[in-house]
Amino acid sequence: MTSFENSLAVLASGMEAQAMRLRHVSENVANADTPGYRRKTTAFEAVVTDGAKTGAVRLGDVTLDRRDLTRIHDPGHPMADGNGYYDGSNVDLVVEIADAREAQRSYEANLRLFDQTRQMSQSLLELLRR
Amino acid sequence: MFARPEVMEIAAARAAHAALRQSAIAGNVANADTPGYRARDLAGFESIWRDTSGGELRHTRRGHLGGADAPVLGQVTTRSQPGSLSPNGNDVSLETEMVAAATVKKDHDLALAVYRTSLDILRASLGRR
Repeated sequence: MTSFENSLAVLASGMEAQAMRLRHVSENVANADTPGYRRKTTAFEAVVTDGAKTGAVRLGDVTLDRRDLTRIHDPGHPMADGNGYYDGSNVDLVVEIADAREAQRSYEANLRLFDQTRQMSQSLLELLRR
Repeated sequence: MFARPEVMEIAAARAAHAALRQSAIAGNVANADTPGYRARDLAGFESIWRDTSGGELRHTRRGHLGGADAPVLGQVTTRSQPGSLSPNGNDVSLETEMVAAATVKKDHDLALAVYRTSLDILRASLGRR
């Protein structure tokens, strides 16, 4: 039974990490038109407890994408400089959508395995119930 | 006479093996996007459980006679799948994991079915229903 509980905890950590990733993606999409906004990126990392890897996963620190901000030509914009340009965000919507889709797929895979593990421990308990 | 029937012992070991393998697969799926993570798996049940009637020694633990390099129950190894290595050093393939998970579910159901049937036979021999 303990290995089932361990599986469930690991899968739950996976779902949590994917959900957090989706949150960062939605923040990026929401700020796609914010002047000067830099895209947030995160990397997954293994959880280490007492010097040993538990198999669980979490989202690492948020880093900002260092790519150049897009220069947008709009002389009527309040932030435009002498040449009529201002700094937009460096969010690429296509990349964000692809990232969101991958996060969703991974979340579903975690959820499906979570359900399966639950079924397996359930059927093990059925043996006792007879 | 009341010794534990071997069929139940095998079924229990197979169910335990399926549970441990599920644990390894759960780790793989959760770490499907972790940089540098290598997919892990357990050796197949066939290579762990050896029939004693064939004259071969069965070893369930490291250090048993002839069992120095043979896989034992619950021993986790990295699965070698060179084709699916992504640029960040992660080689988890969700498709492979789903297939493995389906196999594990099937193995576990099979083991529990065998165990339940053996239990029914034992009960019937005791005259209970």
